[in-house]
Amino acid sequence: MASNPVEYLPGKQPHPREHRMIFRNVDRAGWDASIDTYLNDGGYEMAKKALKMERQDIINEVKASGLRGRGGAGFPTGVKWGFIPPTNTKPVYLICNADESEPGTFKDRYILHQDPHQLIEGMIISAFAVKANLAYIYIREEFPHAATIVEKAIAEAKNKGFLGKAIFGSDFDLEIYVHRGAGAYICGEETGLIESLEGKRPYPRIKPPYFPAALGLYMSPTIVNNVESLCHVKHILQMGGAEYAKLGTPNNTGTRILCVSGDVQKPGYYEVQVGKVTMGEVINDLCGGLKPGRTLKAIIPGGSSAKVLKADETYKLKDGRELTIWDIPMDFDTMAACGSMAGSGGVMIMDDSRSMAWVINNLNKFYQHESCGQCTPCREGSPWMAKISDRIIAGNASPDDVDMLEQVANQIEGKTICAFGEAASWPTQSFVRKFRDEIKSMTKADLAGRIVNEETKLAVAGLEA
Amino acid sequence: MSQDISPSTAFIDGKPFLFQSGETILNVVDRHLGRGHVPTLCDAPQLEPYGACRVCSVEVALQDGGPRRVVASCHTPMAPGMHIFTETQKVRRLRKNIVELVLTDHPLDCLTCEVNGNCELQTVAAKVGIRKVRYPEGENHLDRKKDLSHPYMTSDLSKCINCSRCVRACDEIQGQHVLSMHGRGFNARIIKGMDTTFEESPCVSCGACSQACPTSAISDVFMSKSIEATNKTRTVCTYCGVGCNLTVATKGNEVLSIQAPVDAEVNHAHTCLKGRFAFKFYNHKDRLRKPLIRQPDGAFKEATWDEAYEHIVTNLKRIIAANGPQAVAGISSARCTNEENYLMQKFIRHVVGTNNIDCCARVCHSPTAWGMQKSFGTGAATNSFEDIGYTKCIMVIGANPTEGHPVTGARLKQAVMKGTPLIVIDPRRIEIVPYAKYHLQLRPGTNVALLNMMARFILDEGLVKKDFVEKRCENWEEFEAGLRSLDMDALEKITGVDKELVRAAAIEYASSEAAMSFHGLGVTEHEQGAKTVMLISNLAMMTGNIGRPGVGVNPLRGQNNVQGAADMGCQPHQGAGYFEMNDIQVQKRYSEFYGTNTPSEPGWKIPQMFDNAIAGNLKALWLMGEDVVQTDPDAHHVRHAMDSLEFLVVQEIFMTETAKYADVILPAASFLEKSGTFTNAERRVQRVNAAVKPLEGTKPDGQIMCEIIQRFGHPQADYTPDGVLAEIAQIVPFFKGATWENLGEQGKQWPIREGGVDTQIMHVEQFARGKGHFHFFNWQESTELKTNGTEFPFILTTGRILEHYNCGTMTRRTGNSEIVAKDLLAINPADARAKSINTGDTVKLFSARGEVELEASVTDEVKPGILYTTFHFPENMVNNVTGQGCDADTLCPEYKVVAADIVKVS
Repeated sequence: MASNPVEYLPGKQPHPREHRMIFRNVDRAGWDASIDTYLNDGGYEMAKKALKMERQDIINEVKASGLRGRGGAGFPTGVKWGFIPPTNTKPVYLICNADESEPGTFKDRYILHQDPHQLIEGMIISAFAVKANLAYIYIREEFPHAATIVEKAIAEAKNKGFLGKAIFGSDFDLEIYVHRGAGAYICGEETGLIESLEGKRPYPRIKPPYFPAALGLYMSPTIVNNVESLCHVKHILQMGGAEYAKLGTPNNTGTRILCVSGDVQKPGYYEVQVGKVTMGEVINDLCGGLKPGRTLKAIIPGGSSAKVLKADETYKLKDGRELTIWDIPMDFDTMAACGSMAGSGGVMIMDDSRSMAWVINNLNKFYQHESCGQCTPCREGSPWMAKISDRIIAGNASPDDVDMLEQVANQIEGKTICAFGEAASWPTQSFVRKFRDEIKSMTKADLAGRIVNEETKLAVAGLEA
Repeated sequence: MSQDISPSTAFIDGKPFLFQSGETILNVVDRHLGRGHVPTLCDAPQLEPYGACRVCSVEVALQDGGPRRVVASCHTPMAPGMHIFTETQKVRRLRKNIVELVLTDHPLDCLTCEVNGNCELQTVAAKVGIRKVRYPEGENHLDRKKDLSHPYMTSDLSKCINCSRCVRACDEIQGQHVLSMHGRGFNARIIKGMDTTFEESPCVSCGACSQACPTSAISDVFMSKSIEATNKTRTVCTYCGVGCNLTVATKGNEVLSIQAPVDAEVNHAHTCLKGRFAFKFYNHKDRLRKPLIRQPDGAFKEATWDEAYEHIVTNLKRIIAANGPQAVAGISSARCTNEENYLMQKFIRHVVGTNNIDCCARVCHSPTAWGMQKSFGTGAATNSFEDIGYTKCIMVIGANPTEGHPVTGARLKQAVMKGTPLIVIDPRRIEIVPYAKYHLQLRPGTNVALLNMMARFILDEGLVKKDFVEKRCENWEEFEAGLRSLDMDALEKITGVDKELVRAAAIEYASSEAAMSFHGLGVTEHEQGAKTVMLISNLAMMTGNIGRPGVGVNPLRGQNNVQGAADMGCQPHQGAGYFEMNDIQVQKRYSEFYGTNTPSEPGWKIPQMFDNAIAGNLKALWLMGEDVVQTDPDAHHVRHAMDSLEFLVVQEIFMTETAKYADVILPAASFLEKSGTFTNAERRVQRVNAAVKPLEGTKPDGQIMCEIIQRFGHPQADYTPDGVLAEIAQIVPFFKGATWENLGEQGKQWPIREGGVDTQIMHVEQFARGKGHFHFFNWQESTELKTNGTEFPFILTTGRILEHYNCGTMTRRTGNSEIVAKDLLAINPADARAKSINTGDTVKLFSARGEVELEASVTDEVKPGILYTTFHFPENMVNNVTGQGCDADTLCPEYKVVAADIVKVS
């Protein structure tokens, strides 16, 4: 890390519990996205260093760092890189997944907006390591400014000879292109993203056989990494994998950016060491606590697809620890052990003012809208989930509808080509399981055993039709 | 080729089954337990696994008693020792729930649906045990309108279940990308083109989508998925040399519809619109149904078969008696079966006693047969269509496969879209050009110059496979010396193709591990046609691209049996089995076999027949299924020949331009009404099976030939396809092992050795002639251009289109005419401007021979100075313009280079 102290803009000082590494330059005083600013801060030194290293050494450093993907799945980045078949003769592609569209997640956009060269440097190192001469940054449609900024940054880097032919005077060529999405959540799914990049409809691919590391973009080995993950690579090279691994907790190394939204005093982004901060500390320390007079009701801890955690739950772990929701360390493994996931780092806090039926309906509407339509269970099931939860919040549902809602979700989870099926069904499954009584209380008990449907107007007509 | 894999064992519902590496769970279940044992909605055997409907879900444990998980069986590969559970309660409930959800948005009007009883959704719903749908009526798409805009394709997307099979068929089989999904999630729906109708979309109506659709969401006007048919017959298409297998659905004696068998090695569930939809000609009102005899007043009069035969026999015998057998000639048809062609040449050669037998291969691939015989020893494709899957480089020369050979064209396009580099050598920017890595857009008539350039570059770049040349070939030195004498700058000017582009293409071809060439009539129908074929052979030999998978020289045969017609001896210089007729030993062998004297005098080729008719030497001509007036060049000359004949017999299914000149017309049967064999472009001899009985009053050509041989007093059994094939097997060495039974459904590729072992790849160890022979030829300007080029400054080149077949007697009497109803003249925009011609204008096209009027189509698919048109419509009679120039070696007409000019009429 550069040792000079960093000044931040007034009112934008990081919380003392934060460990700013990726977000070191976000909201930094006197900072801008230009290459000169980045170079004055010691930028691109790691890229230069990497190009003099053996590729395998870089991969080993990344493996040693324990870096896990920050896009949502938390898969070890170094291991992913190692999946490229050793006998490969095709070109290798690196793709930066900047389709940050998981509801509740807003970390990558700050990197793209304020520190694009950090990403480019991370990509140069990563591309060199995996032998990719062509890399893409897939930026979602909703980030028009980010695309402009990143394109400008790429042009600056190219101008300096950091991209293009024989970069930094090495024999390594690298071009990075920005590709704009067209407004679809499914493009964040890596194989859907690849299809989209190929100019096609982003229908996710079946795995097997289309594992990107072997049969990715243009049926060639392709590494797809999240924006934040690629930025970490730079720091791993700077610190050394072993040193980086000392950040955070074992198997949950480094820092990550939490995006906190919902019913807290100070929602926002907070970069912390993984697992070194608990959920309670996130709420009470980082975010200044709940709103006055409110009590915690539920938390979605890792983007909207993550299963909900209920405020009064306790979690019994395999090592014998028993945790309340407040005690959960913000890491990958414990969050999974508590039945949810750290996901993309989007933490959504809900207090007692929130109707759980309303929340689930809101989420179901989102997934209905974003289902690509390829797999039957998701295409047909997600509208039914939205439809049933619509009925519930309209007060027209039968108590049986709540069970049907859960059943539909059960038929989607694990029964689709991509993980969207899980993303779409986990909220319903977890909310219904944990808040069944509350949701049922919104239905009409006297409709039990009857089939109702808002669109048939049967319920509105008092079931007389 | 296929790897040698030892099968492994896995367990399906507790029972062990063998599988091969790479197979999916569904593949293995289908094979062992039958298709449908595990239900599916989105999977189809002709398509890649898709994994979207999830109905094929099964539970899988990697070992006995291991943890189970639910996977889609269609794309999950088998693993040794895997345990697969196809009917657990979990997967049964899952399947049922999925199908139930599908049915919430599907009309439940099964009883009135055209596919009732053959609907995959219906079958799957029954199989998974759906009895009622729990969901109340909700938002749905049942109000979608039907699309009945197209002559063949229909859609009713209210029945669509979004399985994407049609989209994938359009992408993976035809490669047209017309169908796609629009919108997302529940609003995802199938669209055609830019969300338009079938009629307005760029659909080529191959029907692959209709066949793939599990419901009636996409279908065709013949309702090919209905269960109305009472019988289905597997046969072979007659529309081109690909030889697609067809399943013809019939009821009573009527053809209802045609589909493509999924297991057909040649066409894998694919056909073009001709094969699948253009069959309604077969019982068209215009079909000839009675023999016709010309009366002294010039009119035709209906006659009985006996009267017609009597008239023929009397006249032919009279002419033979007066002028000798040399005054009689026969032209056989590459549209007819091997057996019919064999019988025709047997009649002319061994009953009449003359070598005046030829067939329409004369006007298309005779230079291929001749040239490849000179180079390799066999005038046939060296490899198979399957090799398209193995080749690393494709070179298409003078062929337009996506129009002329659509199923092979689609297969080539698929390979190219998956990354196989393609070199196109063609004067036009044909459909596959945008997919090609190199397009060498040469001036028509300069093939020899261009191929010489390629060979020279290969030599200069040091890419000659010396071992292969030394070990397997001869006459290299002369060829090399010839190449070294070339003036590349001059050739660049002659061809009009940048020599650096030629160099790059030559390097691509020569440095590929396996390069495969395909050629068509753009190679053969030139003054230097046979020479061009030999040069293509040179390129293959000098780069070692012979005798392996994915290589070779592969003529795309125009007609369904053009290979077979020549194999059967319908050429004046070679008898059945390609024996040289001037060889005394050959004559002796035939004489012994047939018990007649074999003629020793050389016979006439088709153009020589016409000349001799005009000169008065040829008195009688027998035509089997060929319309020479419309299809042979310089129609005035052909008409003059027909007029000059004393006696003309025509066996036909329609009254053609040629039949109008006949003295006797015998009404023949179409391919749907006859049995025999066709040999496709990859030497595959396939069984043709009658789907319906011949139309009343008509007879199959084979039967006609048998009866006429009998009436000439020569011993001849009645016509049976197996009987004639057995006779062929005795006289044609490469048919030795062929029997009607062992040809089976897929046919066999000759040479077929005793016991039925066939041959996918030829010249593996050595060439059929021993050593491959290099020939060198210098390019020569076409005589036509030298003679008429100044007066008629444009070069006209002719060809055909997807929708119509040759003179169009068949396709013009089907819905294809609603799609394309006339020949168009392609004119480059620069030329059109200079002549004030716009698309749609009527243009007079004229040459030294004559003139025709055509509608102009202004397009940059042709270069300035080049014109292109087709010859499908008798109203246009494009062959009034074409000339008598021909290949020096084989007399194949030079359709591709005509000095012409144009002027706007309106």
